[in-house]
Amino acid sequence: MEVRIAPQMSVMEKLEILADAAKYDVSCSSSGSSRKNDGKGIGNTVAAGLCHSFAADGRCISLLKILFTNECIYDCRYCVNRCSNDVPRATFTPDEVCELTMEFYRRNYIEGLFLSSGILYSPNYTMELICETVHRLRMIHRFQGYIHIKAIPGADPMLIQRAGYLADRISVNLEMATAEGLRAIAPNKHRKNILTPMRQIQNGITANKNELTLYKHAPRFCEAGQSTQMVIGALPESDFQIMSVAENLYEKFSLKRVYYSAFVNVNEDRELPALAGGPPLLREHRLYQADWLLRFYDFKVNELLTEDRPNFNMAIDPKADWAVRHLEQFPVEINRADYHMLLRVPGLGVKSARRIVAARRFGDLTFADLKKIGVVLKRALYFITCGGRMMYRTKLDEDYIVQNLVYQNQMGKGEKLPFLADGTAYRQMSLLDIPAFANEINQISQNNTMLSGVG
Amino acid sequence: MNEKYLICEDSLEGIFTGIYEAYALRQGHEHIHLQIGEEENLRLFAEYMYIVPDSVKTDKVARTLKTRLGEDVYHSLCCAAASCQPDKGEAIYRTVVDALTAGSGRRVMENLKNPHVARCFELARFTANEAHLETEFLRFQELASSGEEGVSVLFAKIGPKNNVVPFLMPHFADRLSIENFMVYDEKRKLFGVHPAREDWYLVTAAEGFSPEEADWSAKEQKYQELFRAFHRTIAIKSRENRNLQRQMCAYRYQNYMVEFEQNAKN
Repeated sequence: MEVRIAPQMSVMEKLEILADAAKYDVSCSSSGSSRKNDGKGIGNTVAAGLCHSFAADGRCISLLKILFTNECIYDCRYCVNRCSNDVPRATFTPDEVCELTMEFYRRNYIEGLFLSSGILYSPNYTMELICETVHRLRMIHRFQGYIHIKAIPGADPMLIQRAGYLADRISVNLEMATAEGLRAIAPNKHRKNILTPMRQIQNGITANKNELTLYKHAPRFCEAGQSTQMVIGALPESDFQIMSVAENLYEKFSLKRVYYSAFVNVNEDRELPALAGGPPLLREHRLYQADWLLRFYDFKVNELLTEDRPNFNMAIDPKADWAVRHLEQFPVEINRADYHMLLRVPGLGVKSARRIVAARRFGDLTFADLKKIGVVLKRALYFITCGGRMMYRTKLDEDYIVQNLVYQNQMGKGEKLPFLADGTAYRQMSLLDIPAFANEINQISQNNTMLSGVG
Repeated sequence: MNEKYLICEDSLEGIFTGIYEAYALRQGHEHIHLQIGEEENLRLFAEYMYIVPDSVKTDKVARTLKTRLGEDVYHSLCCAAASCQPDKGEAIYRTVVDALTAGSGRRVMENLKNPHVARCFELARFTANEAHLETEFLRFQELASSGEEGVSVLFAKIGPKNNVVPFLMPHFADRLSIENFMVYDEKRKLFGVHPAREDWYLVTAAEGFSPEEADWSAKEQKYQELFRAFHRTIAIKSRENRNLQRQMCAYRYQNYMVEFEQNAKN
């Protein structure tokens, strides 16, 4: 296979260019597959995944995340590698990728390889290069660690099938929540070309599961499932639209993960928003919180958001927001409520809910016990009783609870946001974020308009 | 009746022998306490017993715990025993009593209402979490091969709060089964050694040993620089957040990791 490379470039230069080009891909998890070493090569995988380092932006580094090449025939507006951009271009050879992966892996720097690529010549040509590289890594270097491959939209189904048998996870990026959005922003990509490989991989995984029940040693297809990614804040989509798409992907395409990526305007494209305050990190954070509620807390999107309330409350998290709007279901008695109801209480997570269910077999729990179990009492206290009593005298009133939760946040003692402390890219909270206050302002302004109408 | 304090050595063997002796006294458990190491101020009206670690008694206790409480509980107790906290002996002893004598059995670690169990749970969680983080953050360096051509040895130095080396070794022994490697706990002067394709074992370092003197292999510097470059490049400038980075990976781990610039050797 002939690969076009600039011969004078060192591996170091290539790595810098191609890691830089890959950094906007969010997915870096190494979870979902569990495989022992066979004694013939190096590597294994751990079900929970391992994060080997953390970069200066606080994101985890689990995999050697690189592009095979950043040359690309497409011209997507949001992408740093679009063909009309004047950036240095580089291409690895398969052997260079293998060597880097092996040497990094045995030093315990990484958990495996994340290989994506710009489109070199054609989708098929690129996909073939990726497959070839990973094939060498698995067969010649006998690498048994984690491999995550990007499926190139528009590549031949046979190639994607081949990739599935080599990799632990495959992902196809959805890029934009709506088909119209994608058309506007990425003229060379089509929704259909993205959903087709996604469906193919889903079917492949199901077929492989059936095969494995019959034949224990059948080759494994894409053991850690597939994931995808959407850009947030480049287009005026609502949170409701985004979350509905995510829910559909989880239910209809059995995806393991959907990633949300706060839009960074790398190209300063005229058609895209400038985002003075930096990338919309708080919005991204709320979407991830809601995503967790869908996957681990049995919530549905239409419980959290509706057509009339299409965006998340920036002042409090989605779970607390849901709870204060459904006070008829609270307070919850810790010693009686079933697991699913416990999961819906703000301040309780999956672990603490499980521990409560297990620990109350041995006797009634008190607030002191809850603290030891790991319940965040300052958030939960408005919503729970222990042995019929609340922790303090509080009011079961929406405005009162919201004000208290927001006040805690403002004092820095409430919800832990991953970026609040630094102040970087954090949107200043205004009083308008508090629903009660916003209503009042709305009323005043309505009165004003009415008055001015009279005048 | 006088309170009785059993003074044990700070090791799994010491604690398990202590538990054996506490049961062997046959005086109930109300007035018996397990303590790690000597006390500075002796208590009035208390009896002290010094427990000599004994491998036969340890094996008996370990077997009983495994068969009656299951592997999961046993693993938790071992994690708690590897903790750096001085009250671990009492917590483990009371947890075992709660399981075997009060009858919570295999579910003992769920009985978080019991303060001793809760403490034991907390200690075990701390050790397990630290062991997990060390499997992530530990960095191997390739040493210059001495003697035979082509034999490479990987070496990692860590400084954990708890004694996590025994929990790290199975993970790396599986992952790097064909490599010769060593994990060295600086604080306890303890080595985990794994010769390629063989079983791993623990060794205590000799007095005055300093691993800093060992030379790196020819390629080592190159890959460290490559990884530093990767680590620097992969961060998104407009999202920079050092606080989050420190939260996820504390300074006490960063000090041992090659990709953080301050650790680069010139």
